[in-house]
Amino acid sequence: MIKNLNKIIQNTLFIVVLLTIVVYLVFPFYWAVNSSFKTEAQLQMSPTTIVPRNIESNSFDLTFKNYINIFKNDQFVRGMLNSTIVSISTTILSLLSGSFAAFALGKLRFKGKKITLYTILAMTMFPQITVLSGLYAVINTLNIDAIPSMILSYMIFTLPFTTWVMTSFFRELPKELMQSAQVDGATPFQTFYMILLPLTAPALVTTGLLAFIQAWNEYLFALTFTSIDPAARTIPVAIALFSGEVTRQIPYGEIMAAAVVVTIPIVLLVFIFQKKIVAGLTAGAVKG
Amino acid sequence: MQKLIKTLALSLLIISLFSLPLLAQDRKTVTIAVGGNSVDSAKDLANMYMEKNPDINVEIVETPSSSTERLDLYLQFFEAKSSKVDVYTIDVVWPGILADHLIDFNDYGAKKIVDKHFEAIIENNTLDGRLIALPWYTDGALLFYRTDLLNEYGYDGPPETWDQLEEMAATIQAGERSKGNQDFWGYLWQGNAYEGLTCDALEWVASHGGGQIVNSNKEITIYNDQAIKAIDRAASWVGKISPPAVTGLQEESSRHIWQNGNAAFIRNWPYIYSLGNSEDSVIKGKFDVAPLPGDEPGMSASTLGGWQLAVSKYSQNKEAAVDVAMFMASEEAQKYRAIEESYNPTIKSLYQDEEVLESSPFFEDLYGVFMNAVPRPSTVTAPNYNEVSTSFFQSVHSVLTGEQGAREALGNLQYEIQDITGFEIK
Amino acid sequence: MSQISNNLFKKEQSLAYKMLIPTILILVIIAIYPLGQVVYTSFTNRVFAGVEETEFVGLDNYTSLFSLTIKELPKDKYAFEVLPREPKRYKELTTFSIFNKQYIIGSVHPNFIEAIINTIIFTFFAVFLETLFGFIIALVVNSKFIGRGVMRAIMLLPWAVITVVSARIWEWILFPSRIGFLNMFLSKLGIGNGQISFLTDSGLQLPSLIMVDVWKTTPFMALLILAGLQLVPNELYEAARVDGAGRVKQFFSITLPLLKPSLAVALIFRTLASLRVFGLFQVLVGQQRYSMSSYNYYQLIGNRAMGLASAISVVIFIIIFIFAVMYMKTLGVEDE
Repeated sequence: MIKNLNKIIQNTLFIVVLLTIVVYLVFPFYWAVNSSFKTEAQLQMSPTTIVPRNIESNSFDLTFKNYINIFKNDQFVRGMLNSTIVSISTTILSLLSGSFAAFALGKLRFKGKKITLYTILAMTMFPQITVLSGLYAVINTLNIDAIPSMILSYMIFTLPFTTWVMTSFFRELPKELMQSAQVDGATPFQTFYMILLPLTAPALVTTGLLAFIQAWNEYLFALTFTSIDPAARTIPVAIALFSGEVTRQIPYGEIMAAAVVVTIPIVLLVFIFQKKIVAGLTAGAVKG
Repeated sequence: MQKLIKTLALSLLIISLFSLPLLAQDRKTVTIAVGGNSVDSAKDLANMYMEKNPDINVEIVETPSSSTERLDLYLQFFEAKSSKVDVYTIDVVWPGILADHLIDFNDYGAKKIVDKHFEAIIENNTLDGRLIALPWYTDGALLFYRTDLLNEYGYDGPPETWDQLEEMAATIQAGERSKGNQDFWGYLWQGNAYEGLTCDALEWVASHGGGQIVNSNKEITIYNDQAIKAIDRAASWVGKISPPAVTGLQEESSRHIWQNGNAAFIRNWPYIYSLGNSEDSVIKGKFDVAPLPGDEPGMSASTLGGWQLAVSKYSQNKEAAVDVAMFMASEEAQKYRAIEESYNPTIKSLYQDEEVLESSPFFEDLYGVFMNAVPRPSTVTAPNYNEVSTSFFQSVHSVLTGEQGAREALGNLQYEIQDITGFEIK
Repeated sequence: MSQISNNLFKKEQSLAYKMLIPTILILVIIAIYPLGQVVYTSFTNRVFAGVEETEFVGLDNYTSLFSLTIKELPKDKYAFEVLPREPKRYKELTTFSIFNKQYIIGSVHPNFIEAIINTIIFTFFAVFLETLFGFIIALVVNSKFIGRGVMRAIMLLPWAVITVVSARIWEWILFPSRIGFLNMFLSKLGIGNGQISFLTDSGLQLPSLIMVDVWKTTPFMALLILAGLQLVPNELYEAARVDGAGRVKQFFSITLPLLKPSLAVALIFRTLASLRVFGLFQVLVGQQRYSMSSYNYYQLIGNRAMGLASAISVVIFIIIFIFAVMYMKTLGVEDE
């Protein structure tokens, strides 16, 4: 009886903690949604309101003005496309190149492994702003367009990330898997792409999602590389270029509307891929 | 035969690829970097220019609204000696920072137009005799006050001195709070540690006769009794007539509180005028503007703001670029911007222009403010202005937050500025 | 050692090198020059976008960053009257007293020393809380319940919000009057007067920033831990259950050890990103309080002191490197 009571208390406590965390994670986004439906005067109301309310009558009253404005902005609409192209290309390239490297680092024996691992990591350890001017010079020398320059330069942070995460997953896969495949006459490379790679699918999807969002969110490089090529601007740059009706005014409502519009596709993307994230390893494969 | 056709096709393709840029070069292109909401009117001006000069193609490049980010981007261009942008729009404090990369307008016959503009701006834009930027529009801080509240509490006009402002702000604040509005404050300004505080604090110092931090003879003047009095005075407002949070406020955040009707006075730039009078504004028609107060009547000071036009040294079409910049700074262009988007002209005669005054009646009152606006010491401390300004606003901020007194802060500051600039202390 | 296994090793080694080529090649093209330039510039007095000749100054930038001095501070004197001015001027970092005497610590770049401290405190709390919350969420989402799919998508929400924008959302929530949600909410609960300045009050700045960062990056942790959990075979839990091990015991004896490698990687990348935190500080507290990176930005863009800024970057690099090695060692991930 007492044991049961204990369990109930434990469970309740757990649910309370969990709910708190969920509210904490979701509420700020709700606040962006709420703000995106307010006019500037409504945003300035004191005390602020949990839903958009009319300034005078205090009844529920929302505006779509912010959404209409951002969709009238060509740069924003094109930015969605550019961001998608850049982020997907960056993700695919990093996953491809990164999982190759990760297999070598996680499962193969070779000299200089530790140094290679740390060198790859070291590439992302400098603050972006200091690297920027050197990177800009490299891009100018290579003389490539804005979109490929973004894809290439984002590798500076996505590639070490994918490589490291994938390496840790390859390491975890039991040695027996490789050995038994080799006994069956498979070359190491065949073992890699026919047996190990499919097994790491959850890791690939997870890493891919995280890398995708990193690329999607990047601002500083994008701003510099697309500065004279407006057609290539990504979403974060387009939002930074939002301007108010008069100088110095920051259009909060529109920024919030943009945040909502840009985030929802990503959440849908996660929803579609989430089954893969937790697809898990089949028990048989692990036993080897 | 097939091979021949292939070769022919290939060479044709190559030739056409090479000739494409040649064809395009027939029309010279001038690129202008513009930011924020100046973009629309800049596009209009570009079209006006192209109509008159069909052989030149003017392109607008949009840059971030935030001026720090814009400076960041410009510096990346200059570091790479990029010829991709010909004309830059620059902040009034940047000529000293960017001078090495910009051409001298005097070499292109600017002498004949400089007299039309406010002297203070021309002086600000002139470095070692080189006119490196043309004034585009100007800005100056003003005191906005609630006419309805001043009436209600029996004041017949805006304050002329800081003492009067303190008294009015305290009275109105106490009155409004006793009516139940606990969020009401007397006076709002920009006290965050950023460039905006340099503007606010320079006004306090200058309006107490405490100088301009560094004088035009390159002497450091900030450590003086009047300046100390000014900064200590501002610190005394915090938590009394201004919210404790004022040390974190900037232009926009202070405007939000003001526009919600929760303040009697605010120091801000002219842009809040039209926003405060917008359709759904709580304070629409209930406020007016005046020059900022002084220690004594008539000692008002406003910091010079605004943006300039400059041409890059690395431009490949300098002549054309200068011509475009001259047009954008011309009377015709400034008048257009004044009427269409209420940008404050830098050309003196436009403040008497009937059409301009018809669209923005308060321009007439602004003339005096702009004419006497106090420039920040950006040109005299070039190229170290940013460091000087940072030291200044950080010192002032530490007084506002009560970490130290103004005497200690400014005493330290004069040495700090000396280390940065190497100037003598007066 | 047999000939065969030696041959096998050589084969494996050459395959490994081949598979590393794309990654190494990409990184060489894009990273070597910029990084080399940062290191080289850190030994010079180069000015960003400057036209002056650059001179080699040796370790000057580094020594000036870490120059410290301690002086006695008499009661009737101000700090600036006591601290040395030659060859470089020292500014007040902090004061303390022993035996009734006041002492002052001076530094050439006190803001940088403070930035290091800020960043390390920030990183410690942010990464700790993110890991804790990340674990809770990952464990929950890993178990079966109705609406799990939606829950998984929702948990990633904050990470998906564009960084530039998320700072703006919080700026509005933390507004220092009841225009902001938090002030409105707290004052309803009777806490504060609705005028709390979360981003200006020096005692609240770091906690506020940590709160925002934990919000933003907990999903990152949760997702990586979740992926790690997939590698734990269910059989192990079943076996443990047969042995009568409770949930807590299962967690510490099975889950945690097997999670170590993925946890190490997640920790390394979170710590690395936290130590370089920039946008959050820049947007929310600006020049009131610096992180290492935002101080670096101020030196590079504000003051155009590229030499000094590069030295700061190298210092940041070294600090991050030390953390990375520490994680690898303590979590026992280095198997060779």
